[in-house]
Amino acid sequence: MATTDTPTTQVSISGKGRGQFRWEKAKEAITGYLFVAPAVLLISVFGLIPIGYAFYMSLHRWRVRKGDFKGIENYTDIIGDWKGLLFFLIGVGLLVLAYWIWNKSFKSISNRRLIVGVISAFVIGAAGLSLVTGWNRMLTATTKDFLPSLIITLYYALGSVPLQLGLGMILAFLLYQNIRGKEVFRMIYFLPYVTPVVAASVVFRSIFSPRATSIANQAIGLLGITPQDWLFESKPIMELLFGWEIEGFLAGPSLALISIILYGVWTYVGYDAIIFLAGLGSIPGELYEAAEIDGASKMHQFRHITLPLLSPVTFYLSMIATIGTLKAFNHIYVMRTPSTLGTVDTASIVIFDTFYKANQFGLATAQAILLFFVILGLTQVQNSVFGKRVFYG
Amino acid sequence: MADSAQTKERKASGQIVTKSDVIYRILRTVGQSALYLALTAGAVVAIIPFLYMISTSFMTLGETITRQLIPEVLQYSNYVTAWNEARFAKYFLNSVVITLTTLAGLLLTSILAGYAFARIQFPGRGIIFSIMLATMMIPESVLMIPNFLLIRGDIIPLPGGSWLNTLQALTVPFMASAFSIFLLRQFFATIPYELFDAARIDGAGHLRFLVQIVLPISRAPIMTVFLLGFIGSWNAFLWPLLVTTRETWRPLMVGLWTFVSEAGPETHLQMAGAVITMVPILVLYFLTQKQFTEGIATSGLKG
Repeated sequence: MATTDTPTTQVSISGKGRGQFRWEKAKEAITGYLFVAPAVLLISVFGLIPIGYAFYMSLHRWRVRKGDFKGIENYTDIIGDWKGLLFFLIGVGLLVLAYWIWNKSFKSISNRRLIVGVISAFVIGAAGLSLVTGWNRMLTATTKDFLPSLIITLYYALGSVPLQLGLGMILAFLLYQNIRGKEVFRMIYFLPYVTPVVAASVVFRSIFSPRATSIANQAIGLLGITPQDWLFESKPIMELLFGWEIEGFLAGPSLALISIILYGVWTYVGYDAIIFLAGLGSIPGELYEAAEIDGASKMHQFRHITLPLLSPVTFYLSMIATIGTLKAFNHIYVMRTPSTLGTVDTASIVIFDTFYKANQFGLATAQAILLFFVILGLTQVQNSVFGKRVFYG
Repeated sequence: MADSAQTKERKASGQIVTKSDVIYRILRTVGQSALYLALTAGAVVAIIPFLYMISTSFMTLGETITRQLIPEVLQYSNYVTAWNEARFAKYFLNSVVITLTTLAGLLLTSILAGYAFARIQFPGRGIIFSIMLATMMIPESVLMIPNFLLIRGDIIPLPGGSWLNTLQALTVPFMASAFSIFLLRQFFATIPYELFDAARIDGAGHLRFLVQIVLPISRAPIMTVFLLGFIGSWNAFLWPLLVTTRETWRPLMVGLWTFVSEAGPETHLQMAGAVITMVPILVLYFLTQKQFTEGIATSGLKG
């Protein structure tokens, strides 16, 4: 790297011959490669090559040491029924089709709308049927915990992302008003985000403890609700709330998972609020002034100025939050108790258990790769459905 | 809050003159109070776990069971007990060494790479940069298992045999981050070319230009990389849990977890332990508060 300081640099700048110029270019390139070499080497070794190796592992029986080649057997074990997967994917495809038809209908002439609406409703129905059939076939055939853990991950994502974004946006709005002590509020809201996850989870284990005197139980006691088992409760929420003993997805997450969701929301609301606030600050004030002159109400201003101009931030945050919930591990690992009976074991937790406790490395990598495809698929859908509605400047 | 917004609007457009001053003032006070009430409620929810933790950490075991709000006598000895029982002295030092080593490597690699991707012309620059960025999408759970085998020396022979329970295992994999490179590149790319041309005429090469001119004007983004790296390294849990089977290099977070899972119902000691692990992060946060939030907000907006 030090070679760049040699006198040749000056010679070439004064412009002497083509050879000199070529050497100059080569030296520039070498400097570039030397500069990026350490980072590229590290990222390749620890971030790029492992992907290929993970795939290689997933095709083997691998219990601590490498065993026989199994082909796609690990994947078959997880998915259970390939036909089920096919049905499921057809369902996803039909949903995309329905969305596409629906979008077209808005662009076409109005008297066709009804027909298009009926068609897309029909397609959605078919998609739902295909999805449910496929999923149930896979679920009954699988012998592994991975598919059930995806449902738990879905609960976790659906429970935390909208709540955390909604509350974050509200807080950002309040902070955006002309108030005193803005800095102090901002500092406090951001605090949970910087707090070490393990330490905060230890505190929340105590807050959501089943003791009658725990903070969570005292809080619901104010509303006249009897003490609950919180992190130790494996019963689904619908049963606890209404006494309905439903099977399947509609039973809802366990109270233990809801406690974990609340912790997640506590951690990320402040972060979302700070980023929303930065987004609000970047909306030009003249827009509001112009709208006010035109007589637009606050509601109209919010609907037609703030929301569209904030949409890139909302989109970014919802992507980050969704990916984050799919990858979430640390706090769930620290807060889970044996008595939850697996009702809080999201995909990452199941992968970790398969790897660390059961020592089934091949199976665990196969699960991890499938999780990666789920993340990829979901972000793809988010991108194509919401990405287009995002309004950039 | 809606009230305050509306009244403000009316005031701005002059409609408020038609209303009596008293009503206006009442409305404004109500609106303002509601605004502050909501903000305070949010702040209380954010801060209660901290207050609970600090208060409980000073209680006796009996007080934690009967759940007093505030301890009668402050039990400073809890901290001493937790510190000794959990061997926090060792873990704390480990965490400091791990974090500083990781940060030194991280800053070096990302500044060099960020600068090269922004300012040096070399064949394949665009492709290499895109591949680096693409690795950000890979979930940790995919990389974790192959990396574990790699660190154990199962895939390729490593210098010094297996890296389990070594400082290298805890630091080297985190000494480069695509996100940090991206962040710095974005900033370096805004530095005007004229500056570089001027430096070149004075005979400065890339390295000297980087050290003498770029670095001093890039304090803010470098600080952001430093802070994000510090939090990431200090709070790391999953990877250290895998690669520290012995105490030798076990960091604080894994130490806290083993302490908590062994301590059982001794809530006051657990809370004291939690406070100890949080202190460095919180001190850093309060010291660099403005830079911290602003850095993260802008890095979030750019991503």
